[in-house]
Amino acid sequence: MFGIDLGKYRTIVISIALFLIFDLGVLVLNFFISSEIASDAVNVNLAGRQRMLTQRTAKLTLQLENRAAAGSGQATEMKELIAAFSLFDRTLAAFEQGGETAGGDGQPIHIAAVDDPVARTVLAEARRLWDPYQASIAAVIERGRADPETASELVRQAETANLPLLKLMNDLTTRVEELAASKATTLRAVQVAGISLATANFLIILFHFIRHLRESDRELERARRETDDILRTTQDGLFLLDGEGRIGSQFSSSLTRVLGTSQLAGRSFYEIISPAVTPKTLDTTREYIDLLLRHDVKEKLVVSLNPLECVEVNLAQGPGEAEVRYLQFGFNRVFEAGQVTHLLVTANDITRNVLLERELKASEERAKGQMGLLVEILQVEPATMNQFLRSAQDGLQHINRQLREQGSAREVGKETINSIYRIAHRVKGDASALGLTGLATSLHSLEDILSGLRERPALAGEDFLPVTVRVKGLFEEIEALYQAAGRVAQIRGVVSVEAPRPQHDPGVQALPFVQRWQAFAARLATEHDRRVELGYHGIDAETLPDPLRDALNSMVNQFIRNAIVHGIEDRETRRLRGKPETGRLSVYLSSREDGGVDLSFRDDGEGISVAKVREAAVRAGRLSKEEAAAMDSRRVVGLIFEPGLSTRDSVDEDGGRGAGLDTVKALVMQLGGQIRIGSTPGEYCHFRLSLGTLAPRAKAERSVQPQEEVVA
Amino acid sequence: MDEQQLRIFVAIIQHYFAQETGRPAEVGSPYLCDPLQLPVHDFTGVIGISGNRKGCVYFSSPREILREMLLRAGETDVCDENLADLAGEIANTISGNARREFGHEFLISVPVVVHGSDQRISVPKDVRAYVIPFRWHKIDASLVVSVM
Repeated sequence: MFGIDLGKYRTIVISIALFLIFDLGVLVLNFFISSEIASDAVNVNLAGRQRMLTQRTAKLTLQLENRAAAGSGQATEMKELIAAFSLFDRTLAAFEQGGETAGGDGQPIHIAAVDDPVARTVLAEARRLWDPYQASIAAVIERGRADPETASELVRQAETANLPLLKLMNDLTTRVEELAASKATTLRAVQVAGISLATANFLIILFHFIRHLRESDRELERARRETDDILRTTQDGLFLLDGEGRIGSQFSSSLTRVLGTSQLAGRSFYEIISPAVTPKTLDTTREYIDLLLRHDVKEKLVVSLNPLECVEVNLAQGPGEAEVRYLQFGFNRVFEAGQVTHLLVTANDITRNVLLERELKASEERAKGQMGLLVEILQVEPATMNQFLRSAQDGLQHINRQLREQGSAREVGKETINSIYRIAHRVKGDASALGLTGLATSLHSLEDILSGLRERPALAGEDFLPVTVRVKGLFEEIEALYQAAGRVAQIRGVVSVEAPRPQHDPGVQALPFVQRWQAFAARLATEHDRRVELGYHGIDAETLPDPLRDALNSMVNQFIRNAIVHGIEDRETRRLRGKPETGRLSVYLSSREDGGVDLSFRDDGEGISVAKVREAAVRAGRLSKEEAAAMDSRRVVGLIFEPGLSTRDSVDEDGGRGAGLDTVKALVMQLGGQIRIGSTPGEYCHFRLSLGTLAPRAKAERSVQPQEEVVA
Repeated sequence: MDEQQLRIFVAIIQHYFAQETGRPAEVGSPYLCDPLQLPVHDFTGVIGISGNRKGCVYFSSPREILREMLLRAGETDVCDENLADLAGEIANTISGNARREFGHEFLISVPVVVHGSDQRISVPKDVRAYVIPFRWHKIDASLVVSVM
């Protein structure tokens, strides 16, 4: 309509237009008929006046006759007769043809010709009677006076015409009244019809639109409920963002959870996220949203610029704590008439996904790291591995206890360092023996730090910080080994990956701990370009109590390392000395009746060189040259059990710091026992240990002094 | 947290004591401690750490240290409120300096002061914490760093 799309309001506009048209039609008809009725009312009056004029004319003719008979003046009667006569004549003519006449007030009025057939018949009859009557009266008027005969003739004509004319004018009046009444009736009918139509139209509008309005309301309510349900139940944070970056009044319940605040409607989006993101991210977000709101920029081109694709936010979470969450915001344009009016934003908390992804990556990295561990672990018997790990963890805890016991003491004793060193060295030796090279390297790095500390003239607690950090790392490595070993144990529990053991061991050489020593010796020998063979005689060490067995294992490992690094000569030297190229390491273990054990370890290497030990003691600053020269050989040999003294020139993972025999000494002290050494330079070195069963430390202190047997 | 980062925390506290009291705090030998056995003294300023690493750092002092520091500063009113304020000031100093040093690495919260052994000191479980003992005026306090 008029080029305007009225949409769903078309029907109601048409209905209201009809209502107005009806009202207007009624008004026009009312106006027309009312004017007709008014005109008819004038006609009724004029017709009534015609009646009166016929009477008056007749009366005046009689008066004229009387005046003429009496010979009196006739001027007054003549004047009145002229007025009555001419008024009647003009009015009759006006009724017949339409025209002007005088109104009740003497003013000229115009009336239309009467077109009603009945009235016209009456008028025609009246005209027929009036014309001769009118001609006689006109003749008298023309003469200016009437003689008695003329007057009598006039009276006679009046007597003839008067009553019929009166009747006709009466009929005309009645007819005109009837016509007016008829029009009034028509007017009422039109009004009733118009009002009825208007009322009907109103009722149609009312019922039709109330029904439609109710339906619309129901639709709206349903739509609102659906929207509410969606906004209440969706897991996504949904909201509209206007051109000013303000959040709309409707948003999903999840948004409160995602953004951590419920005061959102009408607030600036930037204001809400600004505490949680960096200023740079905030600026980029503004620019990105501005770009999206510009309809001349293609959405697909800018979507990859979204700076809030995965944003880390820090939300306050109680005193002194903040929670890190990862949020994802997605922006979609909302168009209206081809223009971007809003952005529909979806906000999601993807913390769980991000963390899972990270965990997955970390797991993959751990798995890669554990592969190496698994390879190492697979080569070790599970019980042995567990035994080692337990022992290593105990060792680390012991180190940590020592650190803790230092407390806030300003000066830290060198003995603490030596003690820590011994533990680290022992664990390193055991780790090496089991082929756990990664752990051995870490322990070696701890030894490096401890060596550095030992060289310092004075130590403060703070200097131990790197030690503590390394110890923490070692704890974690051992825990990783535990986990890896646990996995291996699980696999072994499901699938037997080991060859079945023989029913009867052919000999003690096949005992697992002996095989481990042999493997360790072989590996170390290869690394140092030596050839060795380790032979064992004695009891099954696995039957011993855990602490004793662990200590024995550590000590033999140290002896093996000591023998290969310091004792067994290279093949050329051995050949020159008339020895077999393959060096011989002999281990013998026997139990005593008192529950203790005796350990014997012998190698056919170059033995202990007292001169080298003297040099090492001087080099380490333990003795002056003079003191070293004056010291007897037995005491000099005893120095090999002192920490930080090595006859080796260089330091590597296997030796050179003089920690190996120090560790053995510490273990003997713990167990309560004695060490005896026998050695012939160029021939052999023999350690004999009598070990108790974890006797008190005090007892060990008394008997730990080595007793050298043969020193050349 | 690596050695260098721990040293920064230690340096912050040493500097604070030296600056405020003219007498530096002695640092003891750092050790590791299980979360359930961490030392907590009378007043503890807790700083939350989040971001790539998560956990907390706290400095816990016995009231004697705080009282002595207040008296040295000329404050004779050594009520708990003032002691807690001082603990808060120490924690704020640690937090502010740490934010400057580590702001690009992790988020450091505004510290809170906890009176006594309070459960509000939430440290990560399953993580061995570093405990760095401090001694000032012959009284021991502790810096605890527990970060995953």
